[in-house]
Amino acid sequence: MRTFRQIPPIVAALRSHKTAVTLLVLEIALTMAILGNLVFIVYGTIRRSHVPTGVAESQIGLIQSITVIGEQSRGTTAGDLAALREVPGVTHAAYGGPPLWYVERDPVFLDPSRQHPVAHMYEFQGSEDLSRTLGLHVVEGHDFSQEELPVLAKMNMSKDYQYPVLVTQALADRLYPGGSALGRVLYDGNAAARVVGVVDHLRGEITGRPDDDYSMVYEYVVGAQNMGGGFMIRVDDGANLPKTLRAAAAALQKANPGHVQNKLFTMPELREKYFRSDLATGRMLLAIILILLVVTALGVSGLASFWVQQRRRQIGMRRALGASRRDILHYFQIENFLIVTGGVLLGAVFGDALNLFLMHRFELARLPANYLMVGAIALWLVGQLAVLGPALRAAAVPPVVATRSV
Amino acid sequence: MMLGYYLDLALRSLKRNKVLSALMMLAIALGIGASITMLTVLHNLSGNPLPQRSDVLFHPQVDPRPADLPGASGEPPDGLAYLDAVNLYHLDIAPRRAVMSANWLPTRLDAPDSPLAMRTDRATTADFFAMFGVPFVYGSPWKAQEDVNHAQVVVLSQALNQKLFGGADSVGKTLVIATRIFRVVGVIGRWNPQPHFYDVDDVNDGGAFADAEQMYLPFFTWLDLPQDYGYGSMRCWGNDPNAGQHNPKAPQCTWAQFWVELDTPTQVDSYRSALKQYSAQQHQLGRFQRTSNVRLRGLLDWLDYKHVIPVTVRMQTWIAFGVLLICMVNTVGLMVAKFLRKSGEIGVRRALGASRRAVFVQCLIEAGVVGVLGGLLGLPLAWLGLWMVRQQPVSFAASTHLDLSMLGAALLLAVLATLGAGIWPAWRASRVAPALQVKSL
Repeated sequence: MRTFRQIPPIVAALRSHKTAVTLLVLEIALTMAILGNLVFIVYGTIRRSHVPTGVAESQIGLIQSITVIGEQSRGTTAGDLAALREVPGVTHAAYGGPPLWYVERDPVFLDPSRQHPVAHMYEFQGSEDLSRTLGLHVVEGHDFSQEELPVLAKMNMSKDYQYPVLVTQALADRLYPGGSALGRVLYDGNAAARVVGVVDHLRGEITGRPDDDYSMVYEYVVGAQNMGGGFMIRVDDGANLPKTLRAAAAALQKANPGHVQNKLFTMPELREKYFRSDLATGRMLLAIILILLVVTALGVSGLASFWVQQRRRQIGMRRALGASRRDILHYFQIENFLIVTGGVLLGAVFGDALNLFLMHRFELARLPANYLMVGAIALWLVGQLAVLGPALRAAAVPPVVATRSV
Repeated sequence: MMLGYYLDLALRSLKRNKVLSALMMLAIALGIGASITMLTVLHNLSGNPLPQRSDVLFHPQVDPRPADLPGASGEPPDGLAYLDAVNLYHLDIAPRRAVMSANWLPTRLDAPDSPLAMRTDRATTADFFAMFGVPFVYGSPWKAQEDVNHAQVVVLSQALNQKLFGGADSVGKTLVIATRIFRVVGVIGRWNPQPHFYDVDDVNDGGAFADAEQMYLPFFTWLDLPQDYGYGSMRCWGNDPNAGQHNPKAPQCTWAQFWVELDTPTQVDSYRSALKQYSAQQHQLGRFQRTSNVRLRGLLDWLDYKHVIPVTVRMQTWIAFGVLLICMVNTVGLMVAKFLRKSGEIGVRRALGASRRAVFVQCLIEAGVVGVLGGLLGLPLAWLGLWMVRQQPVSFAASTHLDLSMLGAALLLAVLATLGAGIWPAWRASRVAPALQVKSL
């Protein structure tokens, strides 16, 4: 109660420092506006970097092995995969690429006329065992069975053929809202596809948009072709992945000496590389956040010390009239809280405006109110921290000052 | 005379109030440090990749797209389709011209058991090197006649020559590229224009800030190679986005970059009308559905049009200016406090005959001194900031450095910012009524 009774005289006192108070409120409001948006961007980046792709990331490794066209080679894709599967520790191997690595993205249509794409989806295509190598979770229908897969060597490109495909739950919901996707037929630019199963998640990329999770998977049986591209392995124990991947690469090179192996990486390495530049930007923004808080703290404590010095005599009088040190300390703390609160309220408006500008110019998402709350709490804390020193100095002013002329 | 006195007063005043002065300078320094860091990154990224030649380099574009392409922009495609690339290359009216594209090719030394590796390459025509001012360490570019003959010759980058031949003069040596034998005719020196203006959508990692390629082959020889290693940054229209994957001659796919050198405004004009004429002719032949949708942008206009500056950098520059604004508001607040505190002193000066203008100027000079000191303190901070940027694993980071002009800009910005912040407090200080102040002393 005692604390609240202090508020009216504090407000009255602030009125006589309109200029300085206005400037401080403005500074806090601007800081808050930028802070809220930066926290939003940084937190969004961090959260995005933890979104799973839906595959068994810790167990997957990739060998990019390129066919030298025109070179005679005795290797075949079926032979390459057999060699990979024989490497100790490898449980599955497939021709095809993982998420986050140049996944094809194509329009998807509900009818063969292909006039109006419903959405764009990521197409994962590869040899038999692709879905098991990726470690997808089928939640409805069934995973591919060897018998139903088309054989690449005999694949006829007739427009009637329907590839068996797996789609993600998100894509199924988008294409057939309220109904089951099983058995339905959909179309990409070239072919028709029949849904045999639905998997929980498979994200082609992680941009933060909902259509990241619109994916389709299809497999074909490989044989005597000699294809270049991505060869994926899945291992039983993620801890041995790097070692097993190197062994697998050696086995593949031996099985198919006509290939050039250009890249060798594990899914965790791919993920790290994929987010590297975003996280770097996040770190730079974090540095800017710190600078902002420091500058604001400097401003608050600078003005507070000025006021304390200016009011030494009044403080002395109040002490002489019976105010405790604690009262004086509280006075400055409450005063600071009121100013910061004013700044925070104005800052919420500024922050929203800045967000609209950033949305317009940089395709940032809408700023949810709780990020402004984070900014507000940060500023209240910084304000209290910054005022503590000057307030303590004020509280230390002895009553005798009142009797001296300044 | 007066200036010296005011400077002396300013320094004394700053010394008298060390904490407040230090706070002000630190705030300015942080603001300057942050904004100069980001400005330097922006300045480096938007720099001219070829200062000596940018005025004479032009990027022609034509538009072979169907008239009714849903969602198509009015701008012609960035690249050329195969047929246009060949036709424009043979349009022999520019002093120099080069058609080009990029991919990677399996390459090894021409020796038994030499290991294969994929090497990034640029397929182009002979003028490329002279037109872009590419320096040579050994040998020379191939001749125009070798383009015509589809000669199997190659120019290596310094880095690849180091890797394959230990940096020795490799002219005359042979390499196996995509199963064919190529003879080395030249090795170029350090050359890596940033941004990578001639192919801003470079297929190799890094886009507009990609590293220059490892080797250069004659364009038409390259097209003959047994290959399926991609054809640069290909864009196709229509239902099948991969139409050109195995067929670079697909009519609905653009993928070749084309540059011309035009030395005089007359040449530019006549080239522009030649482009229009070509477009009209193709329209007449029924190949182009759109009439005369051509562009001839200069190098810098082209970079501007392509927005090569990463969006995060532009955003961070805005944010850095926000920080500077906050620092300025902060400075205004602290200066108001500082000058108000001197009200007594100002009152005495006014009573002794100093004009309002003199008080104003003196306060501004004090602000300027704070600015210079804050700016000087901000320079090491900007240097530290740039060092931090360089540690970041992003493609453009390596090219950021502080140059003399940015140092000057930093100091100027600091002084202007503090003077701007000082005007109003100084004006207020100059309004102090002398009588009131003197009475209270």
